[in-house]
Amino acid sequence: MDEKKYSSKYKRVGQPYDRKDAREKVTGQAVYTYDLELPGMLHARCLLSPYARARIVSIDTSAAKALPGVRAVLTGEDSDILVGLYMQDKRVLSKGETRYHGDVVAAVAADDEETAERGVSLLKVVYEPLEPVRNVDEALEGKILVHDDINELKHYVGVFFPQKDSNIASWNKSKKGDLDKAFDEADLVVENEFSLPAVAHVPMETHVAIVQADPFSNKIKIWASAQSPFAIRQIMADSFHISETDVEVHIPYVGGGFGGKAGIHLEPLAALLSRAAGGLPVKVRATREQEFNQLPTRAGMRGRIKTGVTKDGKITSVKAVYDWDSGAYADYGVNVGKTAVYSGVGPYAVENASIDSKTIYTNKVFSTAYRGFGHLETHWTIERQIDILSQKLGIDPYEFRMKNLLEPGCQTMSGEVITASNGSPKDCLTAVVKEIGWTGRKSEEERQREWKTGKVRGKGFAMLQKAPAMPANTATAVIMQMNGDGHVKMMIGAVDYGQGAITALAQIAAQELDMPIEHIEISSEIDTRANPYDWNTVASKLTFMAGNAVIKASREMLRKMKDVAAQALRTDPDYLDHADGVIFHRHNPERRLTYKQIALGYMYPNGTGIGGPLIASGSSIADGLTNLHPETGQGYPAAVWTFGAHAVEIEVDVETGSIEVLKVASAFDIGQVINEKLVYGQICGGVLQGLGSALLEGYKFNADVQLMNPSFTDNKIPTLKDIPGKIVPIYIENPQFNGPYGARGVGEHPMISVPSAIGNAVYDALGINFHVLPLSPEAIVLGIQSGKKSILCTDVDCLPGLH
Amino acid sequence: MLSRFKYFKPHTLSEAVQYLEKEDNSYVLAGGTDLMILLRRNLINAEHIVDIKMLPEIAAFEYVEGVGLTIGAAVVVNRVVDSAAVKAKYPALNQAAAALASFQLRNRATVVGNICNASPGADLPPSLLVYDAVVNIAGPKGARQVPLNQFFKGVKRTALERGELVVSIQLPDPGEGDKSIYLRQARLKGHDLATVGVATRIKPDGKVAIGIGAVAPTPLRLSALEDMINERGLSRETVEWAAQEIKQHIRPISDVRSSAAYRLQMASVLLKQGLLKLIEKED
Repeated sequence: MDEKKYSSKYKRVGQPYDRKDAREKVTGQAVYTYDLELPGMLHARCLLSPYARARIVSIDTSAAKALPGVRAVLTGEDSDILVGLYMQDKRVLSKGETRYHGDVVAAVAADDEETAERGVSLLKVVYEPLEPVRNVDEALEGKILVHDDINELKHYVGVFFPQKDSNIASWNKSKKGDLDKAFDEADLVVENEFSLPAVAHVPMETHVAIVQADPFSNKIKIWASAQSPFAIRQIMADSFHISETDVEVHIPYVGGGFGGKAGIHLEPLAALLSRAAGGLPVKVRATREQEFNQLPTRAGMRGRIKTGVTKDGKITSVKAVYDWDSGAYADYGVNVGKTAVYSGVGPYAVENASIDSKTIYTNKVFSTAYRGFGHLETHWTIERQIDILSQKLGIDPYEFRMKNLLEPGCQTMSGEVITASNGSPKDCLTAVVKEIGWTGRKSEEERQREWKTGKVRGKGFAMLQKAPAMPANTATAVIMQMNGDGHVKMMIGAVDYGQGAITALAQIAAQELDMPIEHIEISSEIDTRANPYDWNTVASKLTFMAGNAVIKASREMLRKMKDVAAQALRTDPDYLDHADGVIFHRHNPERRLTYKQIALGYMYPNGTGIGGPLIASGSSIADGLTNLHPETGQGYPAAVWTFGAHAVEIEVDVETGSIEVLKVASAFDIGQVINEKLVYGQICGGVLQGLGSALLEGYKFNADVQLMNPSFTDNKIPTLKDIPGKIVPIYIENPQFNGPYGARGVGEHPMISVPSAIGNAVYDALGINFHVLPLSPEAIVLGIQSGKKSILCTDVDCLPGLH
Repeated sequence: MLSRFKYFKPHTLSEAVQYLEKEDNSYVLAGGTDLMILLRRNLINAEHIVDIKMLPEIAAFEYVEGVGLTIGAAVVVNRVVDSAAVKAKYPALNQAAAALASFQLRNRATVVGNICNASPGADLPPSLLVYDAVVNIAGPKGARQVPLNQFFKGVKRTALERGELVVSIQLPDPGEGDKSIYLRQARLKGHDLATVGVATRIKPDGKVAIGIGAVAPTPLRLSALEDMINERGLSRETVEWAAQEIKQHIRPISDVRSSAAYRLQMASVLLKQGLLKLIEKED
């Protein structure tokens, strides 16, 4: 790991404080939903569909219901509730038909898990297996509909576009310029296809929820390992036809999410079971296997891209079609698909372009948000295509990118004009290319020479961009109160599920209030009855949005403190300053009061009080965003773009196909580092997770679309031993003028484009273009053995379910 | 269906054997690292679990010069990893043991369990096979010995009959000048099942032995290939030839872990690399 020291110009912002929750977590004191037990709590188990698509002919629950200790047995006949954030398409329990291998068919709540599981094994279900929809091509044919009620499904109108009588949950579009003319006039037009499989989030704590639903009122209490307390509240209210205030959601510590715990998951099932069991609390937890085959994944994706360029390397035209294999449901998946229409040409200025992004139903495990939110997938297409174009043009890939990258004055795909406040993609690329010592592509002779040694080295790089994918009116809020000891306690509505939100926000408050970070108390525990609203903890937008809310709350707090202090010091608040926990008179600093002296109200020597307990708040709502035009995709989707680049050096063993990642350099224009340790952690974690997608991970299905690798035995993720030789983080700080201290988000970005950079380096090493992930040892060997220079899905039969 | 079983912990071998013979659906528990997965995933319906850890006969773990190595059924894999004698005398076994699963699992999993589970891709059998390991079995009809290469009968099937259990395995002393190596390919550096595992040995008399896993329903000793190599005489040319010839001696399948084509390639590469490394040591 690189030891370059980061230094901040601020006293507290930018400093590498330890995470506030670190000690509690490493000593095992932190309490997670998994640990919780409530008085009288029941445990639930689910019966999952063994078929990708089947008609449920009958379910006999009598033996299960008769088992002592079983308190409730539910099937699809017991509830018609549909849930979903953007697309209300998911039944809590299958009714009539199952839609994927893992779809919940029935659930049993019992006194303990063992009894619940015995109850499940006593359920007698008769299925009639039906022909499944295996992949996006079969889905687009539309002979079989995964949801035959697609025309009636409730959805976010005007933002998502389900297609009538089809398997297309949403077809989002964007276009600009004159594409046909641009292709005609281009010196070179190149068309390619790229694909990648579904992958799992693999949080350490699997999905778990405890719900107590009063059968005699609308009251529902939820404890969950989740990213989105307020989204759960809203969706529960919508789906159960009750008021949001009837739902209370508690989020203790969360053991990882990566997007997989955004939106809503096991909570509605637990609520139905609790009601059926007379209101006893019911805990539903996913086993590790269920985490793979019942809970959602990152969608598989196929990108088809056609690019026109001039011979001196200017991109004039792009036509991209992204087909997302969202599996059985698209309640969240449609929003992933939507990102492709405004971000699907990458950080490049392209005047003529069209993008079609279809989120498609198949009979596979369904998809949801995943770190990078579609961008790892689209960038696998974009950045490999850019590399192939540079090969065909005979232009160095660095120079080719530099000619086309966005800079002030350029327009994004959705027509937003880039300014200096957006940061600089070029700075990022230049930094990483320099870091790996790029001097141009390897020649064929160099390749051949190295090949004889059995190991060939290659270098490659790739750009990335991402902005939060969220509704145009996304909002968050912060409440700040002062304790009697002059410390500040803050409440937020977002969840710190490992990304470091509470530490970063405490730092901003500490900077604003000029007090030690240790004096800022901020709990990661959320209770929707007490904490202020936050839309969803996703999208790398929390530091940006809640950071601004913290600044507002801090300034309000200072204003209130100065008002009280001015009265106590018999002066005008405008003459007062603050520093190190003290309010003082600018001209005569001896006229001063500590924060503590006014925390609960100032008391005169005779006992008279003024002021009262100090409390302040701050709200932040996305600034100037719009919905996109349904046909052209033009509009303002991006509260904050973060640009970045990765460059890698690898060594390929040409006999075994193993790729050794020697070095990864990662640069992000994050505007301002808030906490160097946290950013570094995000970069290392994201890069490693990206390497998982690049080299290793992927769902595999058989011909009947049953998941073949529903456990760690065959669904692997990188381990400690798979960490690359060197990860060099590079922080570029061109501030965003409306960001907190200029900061932008960086939570998801380190994962994006890692596969693209590796794929480009594999080309440098082998002279072979891979169009499919993962770049497993097997894929590399089969690719080499095929003798082809372009390796498609069908050349390395590693992903039978995808094609 | 979740198993509902009786747990029995015998204190003598005959007690264990009698119980196993008498009761249907009895499963032996030593390390339990394979058994627990079967139970947890409801892949078996166990009615009896016989915990053999207390049996004195299965604790043996010793190397005696001129006699060889005895590994009792209670010996966990990490003891083999840590054993100086195994490192010096049976390097391929040491390497295979160190490659098996993770440290935590090796602290629990037993060497004998790894053969009794009879997984085609298990890490230890290829190395045990090249050392001509013999399996000591106790049963209702008394004790018997089965050479390891006759012990595996198919995927998850062994020569054990009703009431029988493995007490130990025994490896002859290879003597001075013996060399061996175990190489494996996996999907990542962290713990994983082997896609292919190859143990290669050159005996003091210069004869070659080859054991291989994950390319057939059982781990294999490639005796016919060994004979052909020995006939040609070991050289770099022979190694190149053998690396191609091995593909005629195995019949790997395609499964979720790997395609047959990649397994053939890796068998070839690992055999070549193994033999070359052993030859280099000689040179």
